[in-house]
Amino acid sequence: MRNDSDLQATGRWAGLRRSPQRMTGLTLVVVVAVFALVFPMTTSTGYLLSTGVVILNYALLATGWNFMGGFTGYISLGHAAYFGLGCYTTAILIDRVELSWWLALALTPVIVGLIAVPIGIAALRVRGASFVIVTIAFVLILLLVSQSWVSLTGGSTGIMIPRPFDGLTRVEHHRVFYYIFVAALVLALFVWWRIDRSRFGMGLKAVREDEDKARALGVPTFWAKLIAFVWSAVFTSLAGGLYALWFGDLDPVFQFSILMGAYMVLMALLGGVRELYGPVVGAIVVGLSIEFFKAEFGDTQFHLVATGLLLAVVVLFMPEGVIPAVRGLFTRFGPQASSIREETAEQLAARQDAVGATTPGSES
Amino acid sequence: MSTGSGVTLEVHGLSKSFGGVKAVDDATVEFLPGKINALIGPNGSGKTTFFNCVTRMIKADSGTVTLAGKDVTRSTPDRIARLGLGRSFQVCRIFPRMTVMENMLVAVRNPTVSALWRGAHDPEQLERARGWLRRVGIDHLEHAEARNISYGQQKLLELAGVLMADPEIVMLDEPAGGVNPALIGRISTLIRELNAEGRTFIVVEHNMDMVMSLSDHVFVFDRGRPIAAGPPAEVQSDPRVLEAYLGV
Ligand SMILES: Nc1ncnc2c1ncn2[C@@H]1O[C@H](COP(=O)(O)OP(=O)(O)OP(=O)(O)O)[C@@H](O)[C@H]1O
Ligand SMILES: [Mg+2]
Repeated sequence: MRNDSDLQATGRWAGLRRSPQRMTGLTLVVVVAVFALVFPMTTSTGYLLSTGVVILNYALLATGWNFMGGFTGYISLGHAAYFGLGCYTTAILIDRVELSWWLALALTPVIVGLIAVPIGIAALRVRGASFVIVTIAFVLILLLVSQSWVSLTGGSTGIMIPRPFDGLTRVEHHRVFYYIFVAALVLALFVWWRIDRSRFGMGLKAVREDEDKARALGVPTFWAKLIAFVWSAVFTSLAGGLYALWFGDLDPVFQFSILMGAYMVLMALLGGVRELYGPVVGAIVVGLSIEFFKAEFGDTQFHLVATGLLLAVVVLFMPEGVIPAVRGLFTRFGPQASSIREETAEQLAARQDAVGATTPGSES
Repeated sequence: MSTGSGVTLEVHGLSKSFGGVKAVDDATVEFLPGKINALIGPNGSGKTTFFNCVTRMIKADSGTVTLAGKDVTRSTPDRIARLGLGRSFQVCRIFPRMTVMENMLVAVRNPTVSALWRGAHDPEQLERARGWLRRVGIDHLEHAEARNISYGQQKLLELAGVLMADPEIVMLDEPAGGVNPALIGRISTLIRELNAEGRTFIVVEHNMDMVMSLSDHVFVFDRGRPIAAGPPAEVQSDPRVLEAYLGV
């Protein structure tokens, strides 16, 4: 991409180079956020609102997945496990324990977070493909358990959760949940952002790059991964709890589905796992595509093929995701790139004159 | 700055086999604290495997490792690092997708849970990192992505990163491997200075000029264990060493 000789200097100017981009990015975020907040008030179409809720649910799931997948590079294909556990924890606390809906919802991430501790300790002993398989195995086990433990989960006849707000129309119900999902998503994004900027986050990203090297530098990688894993389960289960309250009916096949886990991976990869908003962008793109396919072609297996193809295209052509790919286009063709290069060439020459032969950088 | 010239590293009866190959074979080494120790030996004599077993990057089959009086034989690599043993890798390892500065910040020790929310770009740590980058001579690359700098610069970055963790003992696996002669001189000088400040060095190196001029004590490895040890001049004329190298 860039040529070698101007690298030393681009480094120095990286801060400057980024700022116009940062402004563009910020503007875009504000525009999208305003649209997302205003949109539900401009429509009374139940379908549009429920699609909005579905996409926000995906966005929260993908962001939750990204606490583990994005920071550490450990790809969990079985993250539907925490979604399903979230769904059933909320449902069981309301239906069997008879807690109020908000208490059930508040306890759900705590309980699932605690369940995630021993699972994380077991799963994080392995890396790479083995880790992927362990995560899939876990969701399959949960599927079987939830199907056969009928007294607790209702098995395949399902479990019904009463609507939390009495006296709302269907449209109002969707609208209220739309905003609740927005609030949960903002919370998840805030925590992700804090971790991204923290020392702890630096250790996690080091694990993603080279886990053994990180250990050699003293990063307590096991604990770091476990904490990321638990955060990931917490937000994924929060999405599950909200989904249960919104949708009102659970079925093991949908709650513990490998496909749902695959969607989370696809969304996060598509948007870009290194980006705060990556999974959200991915959720919008994939969520809209799924809804479009369902509307056009009915609920066939066709969207499975489309999902598979999309995943292949992303992995092959945009391994970094959409956001970095688009940004890459801007830096390559944007006007600011060339002018800074000229400047840095001068800067480079000046510096080399000043430092002379002692600069190790001039060797190559 | 470290003043721990007394930190010891003792290895007893360390062994590691890969299949039928005894990479390290009952190696017992007591490194001289506060000195520059060199580890030399022909290709495949087990130097890198020895490093990896000592730092627990791989699990040894048997033997004990004692660091500063503590038995770390069953410890983890990150705990050993936090106990003050830093190391570099033979094939230079950095975090390619991070900036040079971020590479440095990874090595900041996080003794408390406050690391969970405290910002990574702490001014005090940034200053420390810049100090080390300046010392190895790549401070102008602070914002560059590590994968984009030259191999020589990456080696310097790796060294700076190891030092950022403030280790009392520094193990370097071929610091001069694959770098140009001007840089070798620079690295030697740096090692000498850091040693004068109280850090112990253990250096695996094939460059004999560097070993002979730099080290206080040389351990010669052959077939997975030390066969000779002593001051450079003494080791140089040891018939066993000549035999190992010439393969008589
Ligand atoms: N991961 C591994 N799997 C199998 N064999 C290995 C492995 N690592 C090292 N070996 C073998 O162990 C022996 C010692 O290798 P090692 O890399 O420790 O030697 P070295 O002294 O560092 O050599 P060099 O000077 O070339 O770096 C060699 O025979 C090597 O082939
Ligand atoms: Mg070696």
